[in-house]
Amino acid sequence: MSVLEYLANGLVYSSIIVLASIGLSLVYSIADFANFAHGDTMTVGAYTSLVTFGFVGALGGEVLGLPLGFFVALAAGVAVAALVAVLTHRLVYEPLDIDSIGLLITSIGVAFVYRSVIRLGFGAQPFEFDIELQRPIEALLPYGIRMTVHDVAIVASAAVLVAGLHALLQYTDLGRKMRATADNPDLARVAGIRTNRVEIWTWILGAGLAGAGGAFLGLYNQISPRMGFDILLVVFAAVILGGIGSVYGAMAGGFLIGMVNQLMPILPDLGAEIPLVPDAFGIPIGSQYANAVAFLIMVAVLLFRPSGIAGEEAS
Amino acid sequence: MSVADRLGGRFDGLTAAEQGVSAFVVGLSVLLLFGLITGGLSPTYFLYLVGLVGMYVLLSFGLNAQWGYTGLINFSVAAFFGLGAYGTALLTASSSPIGLSGSLLLGVVPLTLVGLFVAIVLAAVVAVAIGVPTLRLRADYLAIASLGLAEVVRVLILNQQDVTNGSAGLRGLPGFFEGWPLLGTFPETMPTLRVAELEVSIPGVYSTRILGFTLDTPFWQALVNVALVFVFVAVVYAVLRRAHRSPWGRVLRTVRADEDLAEALGKDTYSLKMQSFVLGSVIMALAGVFYAHLNLFVSPGDLEPINTFYVWIAVILGGSGSNRGAMFGGFVVIAIREGTRFLGDLLPEALPSLGIPFTDLAVSFPELVATTYATVVNNFASTRLLAVGLLIVLVMRFRPQGVLPPQRELVWPASVAESSGPGETNPRETIEDGATAGAHETAATDAAADEGSAPDESADTADADDTTTADADDGGEDRE
Repeated sequence: MSVLEYLANGLVYSSIIVLASIGLSLVYSIADFANFAHGDTMTVGAYTSLVTFGFVGALGGEVLGLPLGFFVALAAGVAVAALVAVLTHRLVYEPLDIDSIGLLITSIGVAFVYRSVIRLGFGAQPFEFDIELQRPIEALLPYGIRMTVHDVAIVASAAVLVAGLHALLQYTDLGRKMRATADNPDLARVAGIRTNRVEIWTWILGAGLAGAGGAFLGLYNQISPRMGFDILLVVFAAVILGGIGSVYGAMAGGFLIGMVNQLMPILPDLGAEIPLVPDAFGIPIGSQYANAVAFLIMVAVLLFRPSGIAGEEAS
Repeated sequence: MSVADRLGGRFDGLTAAEQGVSAFVVGLSVLLLFGLITGGLSPTYFLYLVGLVGMYVLLSFGLNAQWGYTGLINFSVAAFFGLGAYGTALLTASSSPIGLSGSLLLGVVPLTLVGLFVAIVLAAVVAVAIGVPTLRLRADYLAIASLGLAEVVRVLILNQQDVTNGSAGLRGLPGFFEGWPLLGTFPETMPTLRVAELEVSIPGVYSTRILGFTLDTPFWQALVNVALVFVFVAVVYAVLRRAHRSPWGRVLRTVRADEDLAEALGKDTYSLKMQSFVLGSVIMALAGVFYAHLNLFVSPGDLEPINTFYVWIAVILGGSGSNRGAMFGGFVVIAIREGTRFLGDLLPEALPSLGIPFTDLAVSFPELVATTYATVVNNFASTRLLAVGLLIVLVMRFRPQGVLPPQRELVWPASVAESSGPGETNPRETIEDGATAGAHETAATDAAADEGSAPDESADTADADDTTTADADDGGEDRE
């Protein structure tokens, strides 16, 4: 495989991580705690999409190799993930009178509840979307890139969602309120912003993006009850790398961590793949350590720049 | 005064929570005793359960030394537990790629003792290695970073097959006392005892068979194991209690309640945190050593994050910082883990037919009940996870300070004896009432009110309780 192909894979994987890490970062900045149930919110989105896709089926036309039904299923996944998160916020987090550490621990319990309910309903075995596998795009093969139209669809959808969020944050009233609340909740409240409402919208946006990320992760890989938890630490690594609470930092962090994750197989024969480096040079580390490397990067960032790469800027 | 009166007096002197816990423990003990007598629970398995409770108590003690005392959110409990288990297993297991053979080192020192030493050193070294980069971090960063580093440890153990035997795990561990004089051969030399089956009957009314089990080598082996964990627990408890009441323990509590204050008083909080982190990690490794020689098999699955969260539940449920709470928490966690397994075997796979005809609706109510029941009973692993999740949420919602929050155990007994009056004997209760009502101010006033009459106690309870308040305030300030 060529470096270009690894980069392409990294782009696809990064898109999923970016979707997940934006949501985590939004909730972190406004609800003010590390939400350990975020990964399992992705799982909720993935399973909802799976069930919805089973109901609506292919639905005629195709966009980017994906049947229209998949986009309906995606929307359902987003909606249900958001609904579940808002309900959890109202029923569990809001009545609590504890600090952010207490909320963090509570969110672990919430994650377990999500996961066990899913496992009770669907069992522990993995599922896949009933969508035909695609052949790699012919036009890219001469460059050594094996990428399917589905991969392009994931990247494009993620790009659309991220652009939409950017527009929302920068040019809408809600976006301004969210930024103000994230910056200083007390001041925002004094200024007449109903921070409770902003918080609900944060949950809707964050969990919705997580739901989309989960559906794409299911399309990219498989759907299993542990999928969200398994990716959660990588997402945390991305958010911390970007700077907690900064949405744009989360985008950058997610992109970097996703890339590192997929570029791992290059490391053992680094010299042969990259010009200007002696051929014999290589870092002997297997791709099974991809996640471990992500965590180590995270810890290293925390050590030298606790605020992350975009920490100082407001979101 | 009769024994019953005296017991009654003791019982009345307890707080409501303590009474509830005592009732729960007594109830469960009666249930277990009933199982033992009727033969539903074999004595060997009972001792195995006791051993597991002891192990969880050790783990909770370890976490308490970090989270309860110093406020360190360590999500790598399973990693240190696993390091303890692997530390001794790598040396002693017959399937270990780097193990030693035989049961004595140099013909003198029992190998398991060396394993214990290796495990403790390993845990201490890794604790320092993890602590150096993470202990300066803000609380929630520490949580994430420690969980990540625990995963790194797990992935390493899973993939370094030439050292750890990878996913196959390590088999063929010796019992802890193998090769020891006397204790090593104790289970074999003890006679096999048979307890005859008895028929108990109230003539004409009721008749049943009870007892009827054999106490043989596995039973004596289990007894030795339980004795081992009792020794571990007793030693750790004594050390922790002494440490907690010492000046060192008081500084740790200050670090937990207000780190800046401790810093301003000239304390090296980083070093204190490191000491507490290493102490806790070593205790967790001790639990791992016990587990390895109890289970005689270790695998990377023992380092799964879920095991960390089990210990967290034990500590939160019991009450952060409370060693009695840790014991209660360990008890409950085993009740959940083993009880659900037991229930899964016991309950019928499907509900007995109720004889209600199903209607023509797609899903009728009885059918829904029946299918739900079948799903729950046939997926006990998932049900256990659900129970654990709900328990965390409910405890945080209704009793965030835990069932048995630390109160008098933080104080020298002498200073308790000097104080008197309802407010002083149970200072915690008054404060809790305020805290549960949701007003930190009330708690603060109560604490202040206590201050005049019993300075020692109120200072302790106040700082235990203020932790929440202080943390909440910190959270607000940190964000700016």
